[in-house]
Amino acid sequence: MKRLQDVEHHETEDLYYPTMCKVTGAKQITEMEKWYELEMPDGQSLGHSPGQFVEVSAFGIGEAPISISSSPSKNGKFELCIRQVGTLTNVLKNYETGDMMGIRGPFGKGFPMEKLFGKDILVVAGGIGLVPLRSLINYVLDNRKDFGRLIILYGAKTPSELLFTDELETWKDRDDVELHVTVDQPDETWEGNTGVITTLIPSLDLKLNTTIAAITGPPVMYKFVVMSLKSKQLPDDQIYLSLERRMKCGVGKCGHCQINGVYCCQDGPVFNYVDLKPLEEAL
Amino acid sequence: MECFSLLRSDVPALIDYLGDFGEVIAPHGKGDVSYSFEVVRDSSDVVLDYTRTLLPLKKMFLPPVEKLMGFSLKNGSYEQEDVIVAPRVFFGVHSYEMQSILRLDHSMLSGSAESNYFKRRQSSRFVGISFEPDEFHFSESVGVVIEEMEGFDLFLNEVDGDFQLYVLTDSGQGMLNGFDKINLTEPEVVEGRHFKKKIRYHYNRLPRVFQYAYHSDVWADVASRCVGCGACTLTCPTCFCFDVQDEVEVTAEDGMRQRSWDSCMLSTFAEVAGGENFREKTINRTRHRLYRKFKYITDEEGLPWCVGCGRCTAFCPAGISLPDIVNELIQEDEKAQYHRTVRV
Repeated sequence: MKRLQDVEHHETEDLYYPTMCKVTGAKQITEMEKWYELEMPDGQSLGHSPGQFVEVSAFGIGEAPISISSSPSKNGKFELCIRQVGTLTNVLKNYETGDMMGIRGPFGKGFPMEKLFGKDILVVAGGIGLVPLRSLINYVLDNRKDFGRLIILYGAKTPSELLFTDELETWKDRDDVELHVTVDQPDETWEGNTGVITTLIPSLDLKLNTTIAAITGPPVMYKFVVMSLKSKQLPDDQIYLSLERRMKCGVGKCGHCQINGVYCCQDGPVFNYVDLKPLEEAL
Repeated sequence: MECFSLLRSDVPALIDYLGDFGEVIAPHGKGDVSYSFEVVRDSSDVVLDYTRTLLPLKKMFLPPVEKLMGFSLKNGSYEQEDVIVAPRVFFGVHSYEMQSILRLDHSMLSGSAESNYFKRRQSSRFVGISFEPDEFHFSESVGVVIEEMEGFDLFLNEVDGDFQLYVLTDSGQGMLNGFDKINLTEPEVVEGRHFKKKIRYHYNRLPRVFQYAYHSDVWADVASRCVGCGACTLTCPTCFCFDVQDEVEVTAEDGMRQRSWDSCMLSTFAEVAGGENFREKTINRTRHRLYRKFKYITDEEGLPWCVGCGRCTAFCPAGISLPDIVNELIQEDEKAQYHRTVRV
C-alpha cells in the first residue's frame, strides 16, 4: 500500500492542466468526422505509442478522451480524428487551423510494439475504430521491413462513412498491404464487399504462429470478431483489443472507466485478450 | 509510547493548546441528530461523544467541489488554481476515519501522485478519540478496532468518563510540549465496548466469498430496493471517484473548471458519448460498489476498502445494509459449499 511517507513533494504532479496545442490542419472528412493536425508548443513531441489517447479540452465545455490517429514516426505533429457525437465534440467541430486546443496526455497503454516486431499484423477496424488503428498501420508502413504481412480489415456502415479514403486507396495499391473493406449498407456505386466485418475473416489465410490481431470498433463488434478469430484457431494471447470507456481523468483516479477492477485509462485502452477474459464487464 | 491521564473537563484546554500548531478541525453537533467536522471557534463546542459525522473527513482532503483552474474564453487561456494549505490539526477522529484517510493516501498517491491531495494531506496532524459503537458501526469486522492508533499523532482513549492520552509520534510529542494538564500514567485496557453489528467472517475470507458471488441472486434483491441516489458513495470515507465540469459565468467571458464528488451508483456514471452505458442496470452498479470495497483493491492491497463506519447503511434512504449484504453472500457461499460436499 502506498503511504504518505513514501511520497516526496517533487514526485507529485499537477495532473489536470492541459497543454495548449495549435491546430495546424483541419478538415471535415465525412458528415460526422473531422480530422485535425496539431502541434505542441516549442517543438515538443507528444511522445505517444500507437493505441494511446489524449484528453482534449475546450474551455467552458470540458474534456473527452480521443484516440491519437497519427503514427509516432510522424515527426513534430500529431493527428486526431473526432466524431461529432457529444457536447464537446460538437464544439470541436468549429475548430479550424490556427485555433488552440487543450491537450493532456498521451495516456494509457498502446499496442506493445516490442511484441509486434517481426510478426504478421492483422488489423480489424470497425467504424471509427480505424482512427487509433491508423496510428498502428502507419507505424508499420513507416517501418515496413520490421514487420511481416500487414492485413487490414475495415468495415463501415455505408460507403460515405469510410474514413481516410485517400489513404485507403494508397494502401490498396501497395503490394505489401492486404486491404479488405466491407460496408453493411452498400449504395448503387459500391462495388466492394458487403456485410459485417466478420464476413471477411473466414477466407483469410493466416499463419497462426506469427499473426497478431489488433481490433478496435464499436462495443458490439468485439465478441463476434474474437469468436471468428478463435474459430480460425488464432491463439488468445495473439489478440489485442482497444476498448472504449468514459476515461474522464486519464490518470487512474476518477473511476469512470473501470472495467471490474481494472482502469481502462491505465491498464488499457489496449488489452491482450487473455487479460480481458476474466473481466465480466469487458466485452 | 507515553500515556498520560487527562480529565474530560480539561479537553477544551487541550484543543485550545493545539491551536498553536494549526487550524483545529473537530466534530460539532449539527441540528438535533447530525455531526460535522468543522473548524473550531470555541473549544467548548467540540463534541467528544458522537456516533459519526454525516460527511466523512475526506471532505477536507478531496473537497466536495474543488476549483482546478480559472479560464478565459476570450483569450483561450487558463490559470492554475494553487492549493495552499495552512497546517491543520484534526481533533476527535475515530479510528475507522483515520484508516479511511490511509486508504485514500493509496488511492490518490499511487500511480500518478496527485499534488492537490498531497498538499492537503502533508499539512495535517491527527488526534484520535475512542467511540462507543452504535447499531451501524462494524469496523471491528473489517479489522479496525476502536483503539487502532495507526496514523494518529495523539489518541484519546476514554476510561471511566475521563481520558488516557497516548503520544504516538514526535509531532504528537511536540504538540504537547508545555501542556501541563496531563500526568504520566499506565495504559489501561478498556473492557465492555462491543460492536453490535458484525460481518460473520474474518475480513480476509471475504475476497474468496466475492470471487464466487458475482452472479448471486443477492444483487437482484439489493437492486430492487436501491433508489440509485448515491448517498452510500458520497458518505463513504474511502470512495474517491469524481467528475470534472466547466462552469461559465453569465458574462460568457470567464469561467472555471472544477471537480466534484461523483458516484458509481448514479445511472450515467459509465455512459459515453453516443449513449453506450457500460453499467446500465442498477444491479451492475450495486454489485460494482461492493466489489470495490471487498474485492478489486483488496486483491492487490490485502485490506478491505471498507472501514466499517456504517455511514452507507445509516444514511441509505432505502434501508440497505452493507454488512447485511455481505452476510447474505456468506450464507449463500456456505450453502453452495454444503451442496458441493453433499454431492461428493
